[in-house]
Amino acid sequence: MSEAIRARGVTIDLGTRRVLDDVSFDVERGEFTALCGPNGGGKTTFLKAALGLLPLRAGHVEVLGTTPHAARPQVGYVPQVKSFNTAFRARVADVIVANRRGSWPLRLGAEEREAARTALAAVGGERLLDESLTGLSGGEIQRVYLARALATGPALLLLDEPTAGVDARGRVEFLELLAGIAKRRELAVVLVTHSASAVRRLARRAVYLHTTLRAWGPPDEVLNREGEDGGAFSGQDHTNGSFCEDE
Amino acid sequence: MAELADALLAPLSQGFVLRALAAGTALGAVGALLGVFVVQRGLGLLSDGLAHATFGGLALGLLVATSVDGALWVALPFTVLIALGIQYVRRHTTLGGDVATGVFFAVSFAAGILFLGLRPASAPPVNVEGLLFGSLLAVSPGALVVILVVAALVVLVLAAIGPRLAYATFDPELAALSGVPVATLEYVLLALTALVVVVGVKTVGVVLVSAFVVIPAATANLLGRTPAIIAVLAVALGVGGTAFGLFASYHLNVATGATIILTLGALFFLALLLRRR
Repeated sequence: MSEAIRARGVTIDLGTRRVLDDVSFDVERGEFTALCGPNGGGKTTFLKAALGLLPLRAGHVEVLGTTPHAARPQVGYVPQVKSFNTAFRARVADVIVANRRGSWPLRLGAEEREAARTALAAVGGERLLDESLTGLSGGEIQRVYLARALATGPALLLLDEPTAGVDARGRVEFLELLAGIAKRRELAVVLVTHSASAVRRLARRAVYLHTTLRAWGPPDEVLNREGEDGGAFSGQDHTNGSFCEDE
Repeated sequence: MAELADALLAPLSQGFVLRALAAGTALGAVGALLGVFVVQRGLGLLSDGLAHATFGGLALGLLVATSVDGALWVALPFTVLIALGIQYVRRHTTLGGDVATGVFFAVSFAAGILFLGLRPASAPPVNVEGLLFGSLLAVSPGALVVILVVAALVVLVLAAIGPRLAYATFDPELAALSGVPVATLEYVLLALTALVVVVGVKTVGVVLVSAFVVIPAATANLLGRTPAIIAVLAVALGVGGTAFGLFASYHLNVATGATIILTLGALFFLALLLRRR
């Protein structure tokens, strides 16, 4: 069976800046991979390439044995907290159903509502079904987004710093929830994170990106390599460094 | 009681009032529908900018046409092109929508002043005040037909793209991942807004037409909890406010366009007081 992600020589320019340069690594099916590196190191850019949202300057990315665009129906994506338009009056059930329909539901059918409830129940958020998205905490929003991503039954989950801006307790709860679901459903997961403890605790393998691929392998080896790489980022907050010991 | 109702509705026995009512409520409805998307995208200034661009289009049209109704056929494509230009700059540069709107609006308005100055001395005089402040009670049968056709077009297109446009309004990236053609829909939204603004200029003028797009939708946004409820409320407020303003201006013998906008504004401030905290 093909890998969940197969990246070969991925090179991406944003404007005049090279953000990723000749990056190659694999994510196996059912594998939990942490994607690490400093801000501007290319983590989000790689996720967007795997989602088919950015053109590659060179190289190629295969997702679930096909192109990123063709693989989209089998890929769940969890963006950063509050990346959505907060002026838009979105209810939780609508957010989940929109992902299934491909358009915003002006009215929900009974079956769709039940599907949204089931997706929320899987992340312990059933009570949020009729809530307004803007009234929720960061941790609750990420549960809703995880439910939204799982609602289509994906084989691969991509998460872009899902716990940035969430309080410490919410971060731990969310990551434990994610790990449990990934294991039960045998999902491949790529988690962009600045949390060294999350990398050690959850990931089978880690990828350290800083424009080029600096390291790829077992979490401890990658974290050690990051330390040898100057260690300038260790212990710093996620807003300006690679890792923080926050959990 | 019946006498009072008869007196209040007496204006409807006159053809020009009926035309004004039809034109005003049609614009109130479709302006509000578009406004739901425009306001939630934070593009409130866009319709104002397009209205000023319409002045440039009408002035260009008046170089070849003898009446404002005739110039409308130049102003329509001119303003749609300006709208597409604004959207292009928004998508392909780091400048925000307000900056792009500001540039296009100023250039179009300046070009309009220049075009008016280029008209031959023998050309019929242009009522610039009429362009700036509109004349809803003077809507001709031909102009009414154009307004109704544009309104029907907007309703049909929004019925087809509304749910996907709403998804793109919530989060363009997630919508794109679900297969929504986000960029194309945004161009369509701006082009439709341009059409409504151009035909609306005839009724309430360059200065006030954007109120049809912004105020009912902003009011509904204060009161409604879901996009569907907000859309229904916005249309009701746009139609009701326009009709009330028209009748009030007739009976009070004051400026129609201004009375309509003041009515819509009063509803907005009332909603501010009544909204759920």
